[in-house]
Amino acid sequence: MDINLTYLMPEIATALLAVLVLLVGLLVPKEKRHALGYVLALGLIAILVFSFQYYGLNKTVAFNTFAVDDFAVFFKQLFLIAAVLVVLSSTMYVKKMNGNYEFYIITVVALLGMMVLASAADMLTLYIALETMAISFYILAGYKTDQKSAEAGIKYLILGAVSSAVFLYGLSLVYGMTGTTVIAEIAGKVQDLSALSPALILGLLFILAGLGFKISLIPFQMWTPDVYEGAPTPVTTFLATGSKAACFAVLARILLVALPDYSTHWQFLVAVLAALSMIIGNLVAIPQTNIKRMLAYSSIGQAGYIITGILALNTAGVTALSFYSLVYVLSTIAAFAVVMTFSAQTGSDEIKDYAGLAQRSPFMAAVLTISMLSMAGIPPLAGFVGKLYLFKSIVTQGYLWLVIIGLVMSMISVYYYLRVTKVMYMVKPLDKEPVTVPLGAKCTLFLTMLALLVFGVYAQPISMLANMAGSALLP
Amino acid sequence: MIDIFMDKFLTIGLEHFLILSGTLFFIGLFAVLAKKNVIAVLMGIEIMFTSVNINLIAFNRYTAAEALLTGHVFAIFVIALAAAEVAVGLALIISIYRQRTSTDVQDFDWLKW
Amino acid sequence: MNFPVLTTILLLPLLGAIISIFVPKEKSSIIKGIAGITTFIPLVLTIWIYYLYYTQHMATGGYAFTESIPWVKDLGITYGLGVDGFSLPLVLLTSVIGFCAVYSRSWSVETRAKEFYILLLILITGVMGTFLATDLFIFFLFYEVVIIPIYLMVIIWGSGSKTRKDIGKEYAGMKLTIYLLIGSAFLLAGLIWMYMLAGEMLGVLTFDLATLATLNFAPNLQIAIFGLMALGFLSLISMFPFHSWSPDGYAGAPTAVSMIHAGVLKKIGGYGLIRIGIFLFPVGAKFWAPVIAVLAIGNVVYTALISLAQKDMKYVVGYSSVSHMGFVLIGIASLSLVGLNGAVANMFGHGIMAALFFSIIGYIYGITKTRYIPDLGGLAHQMPRLAGAFLVAAMASAGLPGLLTFVPEVTIFIGAFDSPITRIPAFIVLTGIVIGAVYVLRMAANVLFGPRKEQWDYVEDIKGFSLLPIAVLVAFAVIFGLFPSLLMDMVNSGIQPIAAKLLSAGSQIGGSL
Repeated sequence: MDINLTYLMPEIATALLAVLVLLVGLLVPKEKRHALGYVLALGLIAILVFSFQYYGLNKTVAFNTFAVDDFAVFFKQLFLIAAVLVVLSSTMYVKKMNGNYEFYIITVVALLGMMVLASAADMLTLYIALETMAISFYILAGYKTDQKSAEAGIKYLILGAVSSAVFLYGLSLVYGMTGTTVIAEIAGKVQDLSALSPALILGLLFILAGLGFKISLIPFQMWTPDVYEGAPTPVTTFLATGSKAACFAVLARILLVALPDYSTHWQFLVAVLAALSMIIGNLVAIPQTNIKRMLAYSSIGQAGYIITGILALNTAGVTALSFYSLVYVLSTIAAFAVVMTFSAQTGSDEIKDYAGLAQRSPFMAAVLTISMLSMAGIPPLAGFVGKLYLFKSIVTQGYLWLVIIGLVMSMISVYYYLRVTKVMYMVKPLDKEPVTVPLGAKCTLFLTMLALLVFGVYAQPISMLANMAGSALLP
Repeated sequence: MIDIFMDKFLTIGLEHFLILSGTLFFIGLFAVLAKKNVIAVLMGIEIMFTSVNINLIAFNRYTAAEALLTGHVFAIFVIALAAAEVAVGLALIISIYRQRTSTDVQDFDWLKW
Repeated sequence: MNFPVLTTILLLPLLGAIISIFVPKEKSSIIKGIAGITTFIPLVLTIWIYYLYYTQHMATGGYAFTESIPWVKDLGITYGLGVDGFSLPLVLLTSVIGFCAVYSRSWSVETRAKEFYILLLILITGVMGTFLATDLFIFFLFYEVVIIPIYLMVIIWGSGSKTRKDIGKEYAGMKLTIYLLIGSAFLLAGLIWMYMLAGEMLGVLTFDLATLATLNFAPNLQIAIFGLMALGFLSLISMFPFHSWSPDGYAGAPTAVSMIHAGVLKKIGGYGLIRIGIFLFPVGAKFWAPVIAVLAIGNVVYTALISLAQKDMKYVVGYSSVSHMGFVLIGIASLSLVGLNGAVANMFGHGIMAALFFSIIGYIYGITKTRYIPDLGGLAHQMPRLAGAFLVAAMASAGLPGLLTFVPEVTIFIGAFDSPITRIPAFIVLTGIVIGAVYVLRMAANVLFGPRKEQWDYVEDIKGFSLLPIAVLVAFAVIFGLFPSLLMDMVNSGIQPIAAKLLSAGSQIGGSL
């Protein structure tokens, strides 16, 4: 039981980086401040590379409140990747806001929250990290000065705060029944309880509802399309990727580490939520005309896929969850980066305005198509391997029905994804003007596309890391 | 019979706190769902957080070992974070009030629900 | 054999596609050249390995020219390629049709030619990969790779139909895609289930077909998994009642896609059904065979009747190909060595024939801008060479002796009459042959013969490069027609292990299923 700060170096470095950039930014003239994004991205990449040395430690430090296991490290790297890509692709956006570079800083603070969240081994740490992330996102969602953005911010804040309160109430019940806030100790205390505890089940339900809200599972999804549409697109991107992935990690940790003994009570519930999310998310996405709303509903469906990994209650399931989270993050960022670049130039998020994008910018059209097909799980893209991991982990555990629902729904999702593709490739553009892609966004698009293609045909490196993550959480 | 009942009822124990906190929680939730004014909604959220604090402290008092103050510490953090949340919330409300001159949730309809 | 010949055959078209990305889109002749070369070399190589296999490996059977590289270790995926007597004819078919598709009408694709050839080459790679794969993951990967390019090609370069105005190319493309994708969802569910069950039985996860074939799954599981997979494969082979995407899809698609689709893509369904379904789940196959046999009647008779009523040439051939797949299904459902042999050989024969048909129709449509039979007529006056090829295709479709579809069809019926499951369906299906002869000959008569129509006098006969694919396909039709043993012996060597597996499964469960 020692506090050795070296274990917290990635978080400390991230915090310092945020402060440093905040200070340096004051010295930079306003019109050049958007370029700080590149500095920040470089710094984050350095932290990303540095964090590889934390693999294999598998320790819990700082009075059992902070886990430095491979699962946490994997997810931290995931958030770092997401943050780098988001920061890179939002330079254009910051430039348009007259170098209002605090945007970057708040993004990094949200990142810090996520990183701690992935490592949180104590419910108090977990809650603080969750709120750090959430509050940053409330600010970010309302960041733009237009009406929609403010409205998205307030809606997200109200619903987010309610979900936090519900989550917290659940935590308090679990604390009350077990007398501890350390996640790893809860399991032991739960076993000591002689009888089935209704309060604990209530707590479990509240926790599930609170986190279900953050990952926008049906029926806690109502905020998602509104906030995704109203928030500035870089924020939407980060919200859809980082924040969700962080909550997947937390959900896995709580359900699998703290409450595996109550799995009979939550397993079926999670399965039903997953099935509902897959079905409703994908079906409601079909009639959407705004691409951000469409992606919002599709992300609801994706959340349904990802939580199936928890159902397996074994290492393979956690591996699948980790792997698919990465794939999900990459493909979502790719799709939103296109949306971001497109709306920065044309000011529109309507699908019909994507007409002829294949001629205006073949690169963007290709990336959007690839990322959407990856979400749908079409080989040889990474999404397919991810789905294979997920479904193989549950198929022999009595969830064949869920596998079939999942696969059929993912093929139905191709329908609305291909509609966008059709508009981009088929319909003649109203405006022949080529859409130029700024450098930062170009990097993002290129890297994500490359990753989706490469990990689709050669998943070995990622699967190795995901396996380490899986066996760290559930040995 | 009645004596025993009164005895149990009048001696304040963990159950009383839990009932109080549960009631508060649902009052808060009701306010969030039913109130039209967004400030009132925020107040409802605050009530929900308060109910959690009561829970945490009651549990700490009645079930944990004397020396451990986890619940109290937790409650203090909750208070701090709830304050932060409300601060952001009020800022956003001001921002939206400037545009719409209204704090009625039903006026926030630019995005279809 | 150190030279990775199968990888070369598989990846050369893909390489061509990748190179084409970097060629400026104005230089379409360079792109066409690349496409031509990267499909011609695989064709030559395929003929070469066909010859080698025929002379050296056929007696022993089994996979040859195998390549195997571990791919994703914890999932047990190997990059495994190989050919045997079963897959080699289909590989040959793919090479021929791929080559012909590139050369046929698509030489005149001018709008967005670059994208067209890139997608076409990816499509060819995808189809080829399914036949070459010995690893089920790789199989499925290529299986799905083909769908998206087809969608894009149909909606961009496709054409609507004159007789069915309500069916636009976009509708056709989406219908085709969704049918195939949903079918593949069931297939994938079955695959993953089997893979995990096999993993539990073997102790290691593997997708390797040969390893999986050594397992004996429990009968009830076999029935369930075969059912799931069959949904996928049968929708691809366009079994009644899952066939309606197919004629619409063909009619909407550009010529090259129709050729590949009717010629080889459908055959993946039959291939998968035999190679994966029957080979791994013989008991499941026995359970479902009567259902397949009965539905196959619907395929042959129902669609043949619909085909009679069509006035659009592509629809005639489209429905006829559904009808022909019915013969293949009857052969498969007979679950006998002879019937399976016939089914596989008929897939090959129909592939060449359908590709020839679509290639000719594409040429006619390219010049006359119509596929509507009553508009045409007497084209033999203006285009004698094309008319000759058309007649070869029509005769092959009707199953005339001396052409490559005759022996396979006869074999199918020998096998089907021999097997108690398919005896009665086979009798009913015989009527389909008669109707089949009626509609193709009627189409040939109405399009080619009759009085000379002045309006088509400007039409030139086929020559030069355009003649090449048609000549190649006719040559295949005649050579394999005159020397059927070239095909039948090969197929027989490939089907033997599968038939042996069926027999052993039958004896194990005492034929009770």
